[in-house]
Amino acid sequence: METAAVEIEYLRKRYGRFEALKGVELSVPQGAVFGLLGPNGAGKSTLVKSLLTIVRPTQCRGRMLGERIGHRRTLGRVGYLPEHARFPEYLTGRQIVAYTAGLARVPGREARQRTDELLEIVGMREWADRKNGTYSKGMRQRVGLAQALVNDPAIVFLDEPTDGVDPGGRVEIRRIIENMREQGRTVFVNSHLLGEVEQVVDEVAIMARGEIVERGTLEALTRQDNRYEIRTLGPVPSAVRAELEQEGIEVAGDRIAVTAEDAKGVQALIDRLREGGVVIREMKELRFSLEEVFLKAVEAQGEERAR
Amino acid sequence: MKQFIAVFVDALRLLRARALFWITLGISAVAAILYLSIGFDEEGVTLLFGVSRFDSDYLRLGSPLAEMFYLGIFSMVIVNLWLSWVAVILALITCAPVFPEFMAEGSAGVVLSKPISRLRLFFYKYLAGLLFAFLQTAVFCLIVFLAIRLRVGTWNPSVFWAVPLIVLMFSYLWAVMVAVGVRTRSVMASVLASLLVWFGAWIAKTVEEYAWTAGELGEVPAAAGSMRLSESEQESWRDRYGMLSMAYTILPKTSDTVNLLQRLITVEGEQEFALSELLNLMATGEPERDDEVEAALERHSMGFIIGSSLAFEAVILAFAAWSFCRRDY
Ligand SMILES: Nc1ncnc2c1ncn2[C@@H]1O[C@H](COP(=O)(O)OP(=O)(O)OP(=O)(O)O)[C@@H](O)[C@H]1O
Ligand SMILES: [Mg+2]
Repeated sequence: METAAVEIEYLRKRYGRFEALKGVELSVPQGAVFGLLGPNGAGKSTLVKSLLTIVRPTQCRGRMLGERIGHRRTLGRVGYLPEHARFPEYLTGRQIVAYTAGLARVPGREARQRTDELLEIVGMREWADRKNGTYSKGMRQRVGLAQALVNDPAIVFLDEPTDGVDPGGRVEIRRIIENMREQGRTVFVNSHLLGEVEQVVDEVAIMARGEIVERGTLEALTRQDNRYEIRTLGPVPSAVRAELEQEGIEVAGDRIAVTAEDAKGVQALIDRLREGGVVIREMKELRFSLEEVFLKAVEAQGEERAR
Repeated sequence: MKQFIAVFVDALRLLRARALFWITLGISAVAAILYLSIGFDEEGVTLLFGVSRFDSDYLRLGSPLAEMFYLGIFSMVIVNLWLSWVAVILALITCAPVFPEFMAEGSAGVVLSKPISRLRLFFYKYLAGLLFAFLQTAVFCLIVFLAIRLRVGTWNPSVFWAVPLIVLMFSYLWAVMVAVGVRTRSVMASVLASLLVWFGAWIAKTVEEYAWTAGELGEVPAAAGSMRLSESEQESWRDRYGMLSMAYTILPKTSDTVNLLQRLITVEGEQEFALSELLNLMATGEPERDDEVEAALERHSMGFIIGSSLAFEAVILAFAAWSFCRRDY
């Protein structure tokens, strides 16, 4: 049983003299939502296109779904929504999905049934028989998602799936992605919209200038070293505050920040606060936002290269 | 097969969505109906379903030349003018966006990420263009076939030779169009390039014809009829023929391919259709076969005409397919 859906050992891509991917190594666990983040021009799309044989990598070693990368038949088990997806204007939503089904060799009856289901799931059933040319951007993106799923793929690549979609639509796309994970699919999402990604992904890799600069589970990347925060109802009474500050604990308004081995270590402080009659509103582990992690990683790489 | 159908249905939908496609079909129908409107009666020929008419001893209902005349109109006017010019241009323009549109950013990705090899995809798309030309001419020839039955009373299946010949000729230019379309992703550039090759082929043929007539027959066309050349002049033309015909040899033989139709069309099943006979009939009123003209018209074998054109097409296509398979999208 293979645990990684995609296992890239070494991937290099040059466009003429420009090196878009500089020997990337990456592993995508099966059944997870994987986010590939990076600033514009980092090489995210190039990486996905290399895996899908849309561009021809200069050098590539690795496996996808248990086969060598670039193996034709395996692509039948892969779904893809390209960046700036543009489907022919003259096709209806239904025809677009059917077209992909035909190319992926999905048997006719199954294709029709799945097409109906998927159009329903992405909320395009009513519009299914209108021409793509009449769709709004968000509607096109939904049809794009439906066609990416028509061959019942084991892994789905979504390149900037929320591009041009309104907030409501984004929430829905997120729901669809979660739904894919529930069905056991691996989802590979390219994005630079960090807030968005943060809410669905299990694991991320951050890419900059053709290199992976950081990777790990969301949990591990955003963890701050043993920092906890307690928030009280109203400002901390000055007597208590002075006492805490003497011990070197930071207090600011209704916030108390404390360093501890784990959550247990904070309990004593809570007890003390409660004895002092302070009402506690919230206690949480402090985390970096993905944005902070991202900027730090990209900056660090930039500095390293400058040296 | 499923993949071919998917690609082909998509190509058909692309064509159907274009106004040009319908205009082309419409004009085709008009041309076919105009042809149908020519008829014969006891005294002569009627045009436009009898609106206009002229008398002739040779061309009237039941006369042996009537069929030849009717077929002559088909093979010279309809095929040479209509099918091989207007219809081919329209077909080229209609099919021009097939490749550039496919290769636009964001649209090729979905197809290329599917389990279909690029080479196969390339040929499916290429064939889709040919199929369009095929459909167009086949429908047209069917109407002509029925018109002949109606007007001269014979079934003449040899008119269907026009279908493969026109498709063949279309395919030479279509290959050029595909190659340029794949390289530049530009509809305009590919249309221009194919028209340029077509024009080049026409020039090359004219030059070759001139050199051949001068060298072999010792005549060159002049203001009044033709001018005889001296022995030495003729000799020097003959020497230069190899060089002057080079472009003709290399380039696809567009008009010659279509003109092969005149060799393939038969009257009443066995009699060969003779163009000179018809030309003389029109010029002098007497049907007379001119063997020299016939020989000149047939100086290149069918094998040479089609073979060398296909060689050109194969080279262009191989280049296009290679580019298509190698590039990044
Ligand atoms: N076909 C191409 N020819 C030449 N260079 C290319 C080509 N495609 C991409 N590039 C270059 O490769 C680099 C990576 O591009 P890529 O599209 O992979 O970036 P990305 O991470 O997806 O960016 P974005 O977030 O803007 O989508 C860019 O610098 C781009 O200019
Ligand atoms: Mg991108």
